Amino acid sequence: MLSRVADSLYWMSRYIERAEHTARLIAVKLDSMVEQTQEDAAASWARVTQALTGEIGTPHADAFVITKRLAFDRDNENSMVASLALARDNARQVREALSNEVWENLNRLYLRLAPVTMDSIWVHTPARLFREALEEMHALEGVTYSTLSHGEGWYFLELGRHIERVQQLGRILDVHFSAAHNGSAAPKYFDWLVLLKFCTAFEPYTKQYTASIRPQKIAEFLLFDSEFPHSICFSVDRMTEALERVAPGAPPARRAAVERLAGRLKAAVDFGQVDELMSGGVAAFIADITKQCEQIHKALYSSYITYGAETVL
Amino acid sequence: MQTLHMQHEVFANTEDFGGPDIVAGPGRVSRPGVDAPYVNYELGKPYDEMFSRDGKARLPYAAMDQRLSTLPLEELNRRQQACEQSFLHQGITFTVYSDNRATERIIPTDLLPRIVTAKEWDRIERGLTQRIHALNLFLRDIYTDGRVLKDGVLPRSMIYGSKHYRREMRGLPVPHGAYVNICGSDLIRNEAGDFVVLEDNLRVPSGVSYMLANRDVARRAFPGVFRAMGVRPIEHYPLELLATLRSLTPFHEDVSIAILTPGVFNSAYFEHAFLARQMGVELVEGRDLLVNDNVVYTRTTSGLKRIDVIYRRIDDDFIDPLIFRSDSSLGVPGLFNAYRAGNVIIANALGTGVADDKAVYAYVPRLIRYYLAEEPILDNVETFLCREEKSLQHVLANLDKLVVKAVGESGGYGMLVGPHASQKERDEFAEKLKADPENYIAQPTIQLSTAPTFVGNGIEARHVDLRPFILHGAETKLVPGALTRVALKRGSLVVNSSQGGGSKDTWVLSQ
Repeated sequence: MLSRVADSLYWMSRYIERAEHTARLIAVKLDSMVEQTQEDAAASWARVTQALTGEIGTPHADAFVITKRLAFDRDNENSMVASLALARDNARQVREALSNEVWENLNRLYLRLAPVTMDSIWVHTPARLFREALEEMHALEGVTYSTLSHGEGWYFLELGRHIERVQQLGRILDVHFSAAHNGSAAPKYFDWLVLLKFCTAFEPYTKQYTASIRPQKIAEFLLFDSEFPHSICFSVDRMTEALERVAPGAPPARRAAVERLAGRLKAAVDFGQVDELMSGGVAAFIADITKQCEQIHKALYSSYITYGAETVL
Repeated sequence: MQTLHMQHEVFANTEDFGGPDIVAGPGRVSRPGVDAPYVNYELGKPYDEMFSRDGKARLPYAAMDQRLSTLPLEELNRRQQACEQSFLHQGITFTVYSDNRATERIIPTDLLPRIVTAKEWDRIERGLTQRIHALNLFLRDIYTDGRVLKDGVLPRSMIYGSKHYRREMRGLPVPHGAYVNICGSDLIRNEAGDFVVLEDNLRVPSGVSYMLANRDVARRAFPGVFRAMGVRPIEHYPLELLATLRSLTPFHEDVSIAILTPGVFNSAYFEHAFLARQMGVELVEGRDLLVNDNVVYTRTTSGLKRIDVIYRRIDDDFIDPLIFRSDSSLGVPGLFNAYRAGNVIIANALGTGVADDKAVYAYVPRLIRYYLAEEPILDNVETFLCREEKSLQHVLANLDKLVVKAVGESGGYGMLVGPHASQKERDEFAEKLKADPENYIAQPTIQLSTAPTFVGNGIEARHVDLRPFILHGAETKLVPGALTRVALKRGSLVVNSSQGGGSKDTWVLSQ
């Protein structure tokens, strides 16, 4: 596979994952805010803003303003629509590596969302648009799974998706557990419930732990459950598998650099213990995992994509 | 389930699948200029593809006429919209920038097919095959012995002075002597109803993906008529293109082929990606390729991979900054040397542009006689070479009816449009002509035939041309189809998509 194509597939997938995560956070927040006091809702919006943009949110900012910025603002390159635009730009550059169905689903989704304005959705039921966008993103994921060969290109998509997912999961967990630890606007029972919904984890969690909502169990589930697709452990397993499958013909020395990092990350997650992590350790653990993902990203690029031609001639 | 069913309905009413209503015969007869949907259909001086001069539908269009006179306009509109949606979703679009906003527009498509009979196609096919043979022999000649110049068939200065002549190609052998492997000639139909060649596009012709995309939507819009009429298939074009590219190397099966594109911002990018997908070959940009020791490689995740054949969609000037334009970042440094060393095949070969400029065009009928000792099967648009005394006198006497062009110029420079010029302008131009007749050619004002085109509230006549695609490697092949370009503005003769042109499907009948 061309290195440039691998690069575009990887980023296309990362941007789709980012858009999906953003859409879900907004949809859940728009639905849940009506059950909260104004103060609690503001604190919760601030956590969402911080997780998605890294900005410390202004607690009294209006839901309209925040949604507009996170969903539609083209100047915010992480907004849902900007992410989809970038995903589509990348897809367009590798159309020959995608199935028609993948391209057309992504293209249709973008063309549908691009002209949407806040004013047009805010007067009725704003959450609906985001729920529908999520449905279409899930459909896109299904179409990708079922129409694209599960070869090297597919595994670059998997890598993009799961590296991005680990980062996003890490941030949303971090803003909740850090606040719980340092006590500033500490999350309440309802906020923990919403956190599970942010990660599509509410029902899977209750199946495992019943409906008793406890931060320690939530951390255990979202960090270490190996079967749930939106857990760190699950994504790390997918990443490790994908890393074994890409660049099959690359020389062993270049493969080793990537595989060593992947093995270390997998060990950290496989042998992590939640009781060691509470009392402030969750944030440190997430910071470590995130850093390791960044190292894998860099090694992936220097081994397979941006390597100097003189090193292989 | 319901949704799937509904989608199907958009494209095909059940009656469209071959009921009695599509068989030509006595029934409702529509007259252009009188009956719906042809109320505004003008029959003028140009040849009309569908209606003869007396307003009757020509035989090949009878079934389509029957179908159209029974389809309500709303239904036509629905089908047209389905075509446009399909283009939009496939990304067959170009971008228009205004007010800092980029809007994507589809390349316009018209759902009414243009029909070419088996007999007409047979002549086109033989004529274009003959033409590409002569042009390739001509290119080989001027890049080797120059026999045609020694024999005085055309002047040396015309070739060696051409900016498309590539000295670097002199004496370089090309496989099968085939310089032009992919050609898209523009034909028009004159008032007498004969197809004539307007232009040979021998460099990097585009449009073949639109031919295939148009087929997809037109077949869905008129499935019944399509089936009943015996339209010849064109879907094997990518396979034929692949076979042509393979035939350029001795390795045939085990050969690594890439399409070289300028990138995603090129207006024909959709086509480059489309062909790569359909053929199953790599789509590469200049930055994906590198040359080491005169061998061309692509950078892959597993390492470097050798490339044997490049179907390039980049002009000569931009292909190798070391040899041609040094400010080009689209090409690959060292590519030409790899080519010269015989380590990579480039299709089309470099330097083919010299054979498709205005001046050489006028000589193509003579080149056919010279190289093949045959009479041309397809004529040129009538062209007068002012360097010849008899033609010069004719041109001077008929300046008010002719378009005179300077051979070395393009884009409308040095040109006189006789019918639209003042007497003073004509007199002045006559002096220039007399002073330097070798520099000028003249043609009658070109008429394009008209074809039925859906315009929203009815069907009207619009001007069309025809671009078939010719493949030439070890063998010469045409798929029986073409891109019909249509000038969507009433009365306009400009079929280019950048200026209000669109395209439509072309149905070549099996008999």
